[in-house]
Amino acid sequence: MTKALAIQAKGISKTFHISEDSHNTVKHRLFNLFNPPRSKKVEAIKTMDFDVYKGECVGLLGRNGCGKSTLIRLLAGVFPSDTGQINIYGNTLLMNLGVGMSHQLTARENIYVSASVLGLKIKEIDSIFDQIVEFAELREFIDTKIKYFSSGMVARLGFSIAVNAGADIMFLDEIFAVGDMKFQEKAVKVFESSWIEGKTVILVSHTMEVIRKYCSRTAFMKNGSLVFFGDTEEAIQMYVEDNH
Amino acid sequence: MIVGILTDWFRRSNKSERLWLLAKIEFKLRYYENKLGLLWALIKPLMDIAIYYVVFQVIMKQNIPAFASYLFIGLILWNFFIESTGGTIQILHSKKYLYEYSNMNKLEIYVSTLLSNSIGFFFNFVMFLLFFNFLEKGDAHTTIQTIWILPLFINIYILSLAISLILSNIYIIAKDITQVWTVFTSFLFFLSPIFYKLDTFKESLPNFDYLNPLAGIIINARKVTMEGTHPDPKLFVFDFAYAIIFLMIGLFLLNKLGSKAAEKL
Repeated sequence: MTKALAIQAKGISKTFHISEDSHNTVKHRLFNLFNPPRSKKVEAIKTMDFDVYKGECVGLLGRNGCGKSTLIRLLAGVFPSDTGQINIYGNTLLMNLGVGMSHQLTARENIYVSASVLGLKIKEIDSIFDQIVEFAELREFIDTKIKYFSSGMVARLGFSIAVNAGADIMFLDEIFAVGDMKFQEKAVKVFESSWIEGKTVILVSHTMEVIRKYCSRTAFMKNGSLVFFGDTEEAIQMYVEDNH
Repeated sequence: MIVGILTDWFRRSNKSERLWLLAKIEFKLRYYENKLGLLWALIKPLMDIAIYYVVFQVIMKQNIPAFASYLFIGLILWNFFIESTGGTIQILHSKKYLYEYSNMNKLEIYVSTLLSNSIGFFFNFVMFLLFFNFLEKGDAHTTIQTIWILPLFINIYILSLAISLILSNIYIIAKDITQVWTVFTSFLFFLSPIFYKLDTFKESLPNFDYLNPLAGIIINARKVTMEGTHPDPKLFVFDFAYAIIFLMIGLFLLNKLGSKAAEKL
């Protein structure tokens, strides 16, 4: 039986053109009106192909700056790929320190907006609303604009929305760094429960135990290239060697 | 393509719910954050009417019958267009939180923001009807032809959506579009028959009502709400064609430039 695809990436790559703005003063700008600032090419993702199947938990390893975050943004449909094609089968959630939220809105409004963006109907949000609030430990601030929240409170709310609302395909980028120690323990417990069951998860983490425990397959990246994609132990081995 | 997108929205009912939710929140942010609340939506056109009334009716003596209502309907259409275009140039920047964590269709952000502006427009339109029928001295009254305001509004909605798409996507690569549009709209304001006598406008700028879609919509809106006649069919078709053509360009730009919004803004 062939497995159903969640993400199909064919020949994808991404190059950023970063401009170096050296005209710092008004005078400098005026005298260099027809001399635009230099731009630098950064090859963040070199051409790669791979498939991710529905329901599997895939790990993503690599040192800082190797292109992990860019890759998950491409796969989540947030950034367009320069070449090739990405087919995404379902709605996606990219989560690092929570989900996207507006600081102009209250916690209640953010819960409804974010959960709705993740594909939930209003009735479904109503039914998980209390769960989200309890998990985030923000009951008494529910009608407060989140611009008055501490960064930890915002992160807890975002994490709680993501955990309770979910999405078909979830990209989890170092999610265990959210909140205080008590909240982190809670986050780990959620992860160990049935939260990710049946969902497609791409997990980015520098904690080897987490990758080893949950990921059936793992990718190892170096300098924007996909060096290896397969057995988790082998990928971890490569990553550890790369760090030495 | 548009029919496909719309069918997809309504079939997956979460999208229509989401559009309404975003529109309500946008409306709340716009009006309930201020001390005057929704009253501001009414005060703004009333103040404008007072200014133009003094200039064009009292000082310049244009002698247009029911001039305050004439200004009222023109200004609420104009304000809807301006708020939905100039007011949304930075929409991909201010609403980035909606699409940088998910593969949400960006077109929904525009549709919901314009829906929110539509609530303000219809509130003002009701005020216009009350003003025209009960406060303005004159023989004319609202007739069944006023129902034509719905297709005319759909026309200005599509036109505003299209221009909003074009401007906000150009903003990704050229931030200066904000200043350019400000200059262009002040020019457009004086080239639209908002406070001029229609005959003077047509005489001075022959056929310009066919070149400026906003002029056509305002002329037709006055016909159906104040004169009790049906809209000029030729103008009506022209203005819809403009809106559709601009919408195609807007969707093309959203596809080409908008996809890069998360990384460029």
